[in-house]
Amino acid sequence: MADPARIKTESNSENSLAARESPKTEDTEEVPVTSDADTESKDSSSQSLKREHKPDSVAGDDEDEGTSDQPASKKLKVEPEKKKEKRQKVDEDEIQKMQVLVSSFSEEQLNRYEMYRRSAFPKAAIKRLIQSITGSSVSQNVVIAMSGISKVFAGEIVEEALDVCEKWGDTPPLQPKHMREAVRRLKSREQIPNTKHKNILFH
Amino acid sequence: MAEEEDEAGFDDDLDDGAGGADGNHGKRKRLFSKELRCMMYGFGDDQNPYTESVDILEDLVIEFVTEMTHKAMSIGRQGRVQVEDIVFLIRKDPRKFARVKDLLTMNEELKRARKAFDEANYGS
Repeated sequence: MADPARIKTESNSENSLAARESPKTEDTEEVPVTSDADTESKDSSSQSLKREHKPDSVAGDDEDEGTSDQPASKKLKVEPEKKKEKRQKVDEDEIQKMQVLVSSFSEEQLNRYEMYRRSAFPKAAIKRLIQSITGSSVSQNVVIAMSGISKVFAGEIVEEALDVCEKWGDTPPLQPKHMREAVRRLKSREQIPNTKHKNILFH
Repeated sequence: MAEEEDEAGFDDDLDDGAGGADGNHGKRKRLFSKELRCMMYGFGDDQNPYTESVDILEDLVIEFVTEMTHKAMSIGRQGRVQVEDIVFLIRKDPRKFARVKDLLTMNEELKRARKAFDEANYGS
């Protein structure tokens, strides 16, 4: 993922510790809204679409390299560089597009986008929850990973519930019946892990 | 709805009859109320989501974390939760997988940058 804030901090890393001390205490992905355009978009489905397209275009490049007459060892050295260049170029395009998009947001949209980027689960509570289940301590990376995917999980449910709400002709705020129908739909798509029910194959 | 029956059954197990106020998940305190409200607004809900919806979402998230933890404990190194296990479990879900990769990569970069800065500071 290309993050212009990340690129900026790489160049500023020798200059200002204070600017990055706050990310230490907060979520690793937290970025001030005014300074960014990021590959993250409000519509996460388009984001996953972009990601799926990227590997496709890179794979196409590899096939082109394969048909040329370069010796195998040289081919291996050149390919990763070309892949990296292409990936950086695609990232830069995405960054620019995001910048254009965010600059054209209304105030309400900016508020919502800021909440989307900044909201996160408290690391302490997640760590306590995991440790109460395992009984032993867990590393910091585990907490980071778990809070990250929990946020994505919450987002999937809310998005599905909003679809349900719209389909039933209701308006937000979401009601419990929308949430439950969303959960039922996601369960049928197996996006919600459930180990309580055992599938007995041959009864 | 089947979902309601599941929750009611679960409540019966947890409620030890000592007068749980709301009857949902026994007497557990709400862990993520504030953060979940902001998150729901960010994901498209109203600026003031209903408390009941926030409660349902919190229960779902806690159940998700619990399931993932149990699964991670049962694979790889038994009894421990490691990042590789989580990444393995999430491999089929493209969104979550990409998100975890991004978060871990960014964390590494931040750590490296901080370390480089500290060394530069120490030298000067």
